[in-house]
Amino acid sequence: MTDFFRAPQLAFYGLSDTGLLDSMLYTACNVLIAAALGSAIGSLLGLVTARIGFMRAITDPVMLTAGTVPILVTAPFFLIWFGTGRISSVLLVTIYVTVILYIYAQRAAENLDPVYEDSARTLGATDGRVVSDVLIPAVVPEILGGVRIALAGSWGLEAISELLGAQYGIGKIVQVLAGSADIEGIFAALLLLGLVAVLVDAVAALLISRIASWSVASTTDGDSR
Amino acid sequence: MTEAPSGRPMIHAVKVSQVFERADGQEVRAVSDLSVSIPAGQFVCVVGPSGCGKSTFLQMVSGLRLPTEGRLEMDGRPIAGPSPDRGVVFQKDSVFPWMRAIDNVEYGLKCRGIPRAERRPIAERYLAMVGLSAVAQAWPRELSGGMLKRVAVATVFANGASVLLLDEPFGSLDYVTKRQLHDVLLALWAEISGGMRRTVLFVTHDVDEALTLADRILVMHSGHLIDDLGVAAARPRTTDSLLLPEMVRLKHLLLTHLGLEAGRRVAEMAVAG
Repeated sequence: MTDFFRAPQLAFYGLSDTGLLDSMLYTACNVLIAAALGSAIGSLLGLVTARIGFMRAITDPVMLTAGTVPILVTAPFFLIWFGTGRISSVLLVTIYVTVILYIYAQRAAENLDPVYEDSARTLGATDGRVVSDVLIPAVVPEILGGVRIALAGSWGLEAISELLGAQYGIGKIVQVLAGSADIEGIFAALLLLGLVAVLVDAVAALLISRIASWSVASTTDGDSR
Repeated sequence: MTEAPSGRPMIHAVKVSQVFERADGQEVRAVSDLSVSIPAGQFVCVVGPSGCGKSTFLQMVSGLRLPTEGRLEMDGRPIAGPSPDRGVVFQKDSVFPWMRAIDNVEYGLKCRGIPRAERRPIAERYLAMVGLSAVAQAWPRELSGGMLKRVAVATVFANGASVLLLDEPFGSLDYVTKRQLHDVLLALWAEISGGMRRTVLFVTHDVDEALTLADRILVMHSGHLIDDLGVAAARPRTTDSLLLPEMVRLKHLLLTHLGLEAGRRVAEMAVAG
């Protein structure tokens, strides 16, 4: 019933004339946009709040609540507010990634031994240099580790969000095929999703080992967590 | 007490104190009314038992912690914060793991805006002086504990600080490595920079280390400076130097101060007033 490149049969179920490839690209694109946005926002907030106490007092309760409540329960609100377009699912995944990266970045900055910042200052580093030459490089490996963890969870979240309400994407395909009891089709869609997730993770691992080649964690490859 | 050698005071402390408040609200005087004058070019060791305030004193001289009372000056100017004029070798490893050995040695020069073409040869020279030319491009995780200390020492010397503060830098190293690093440190100290030797303040609890390295030994106990001893033995000092009658006398005196030998401790007398 399904086809990798074109699946006109799916149009019968309300999908536009498209195949697995286009749906996969739609899903992957959403995940990557959300991962990039969430990583940037989460890391920045995590680092800033690790150093500025009063900001942390504001963000911690929000982030910890967002981290404790299963993020999927908010999906209906997004669907109501933003409809079944790209924004709803991207927003949902972005929040998920932001919370994870916030925690990772904050913890990395807290765990950084103060001796490095002290040493930089006694060598003549300004506050700006302490941030750019000490704080940021020191936390990068841990933050990138967090990005991988967040990415892994993002695929499932994006797919489920599409299942709940979307016009495109692998999740939508699975939903449609489930309605017509097309087991092979569902398997094909899930297999493709898994394959792409593994591939993206391998690329991320490679990038991390390049960027953080100084760190022991990066050389053992794979995830030490 | 022995008179300090004459010369321009590089570090000058007048009734310097450091008072902390513990978590339980109790006040702790880590350093109390410490007055000392250290001339330029002198190699001074600060010894004392754990918790005597020697590291706190060093932190105040570095500018990382400001005195709560008293006056602390370097070369006639008050110490108001960290400065590249006063290089620090910390007790813990402070070599940046995310920079290669040579980039670590260069870092201070980079902060001071010296162009790469000029700072690279300086860093290479100091790495060679500490015997690490072969591992200039290594990551710190690939180096041993002793090598990391060499990088840290090269970094502060390359940065051209006129005062060097070392806080039990070799405490965690094995005996052989420690002895090798003493030689490295003394060779670097012997180098003339800006028309004079650098002034060194070296905190240790190792009496033999102090006697091997120092021109002068300050003894601290419970936040007080309780003795100020000159070490006159000629340099270079060898194992035999430590057996000279004067050195043996000093060693006994220091051990008594540390409470390791019989006799009424000067510490107790000083603290009791």
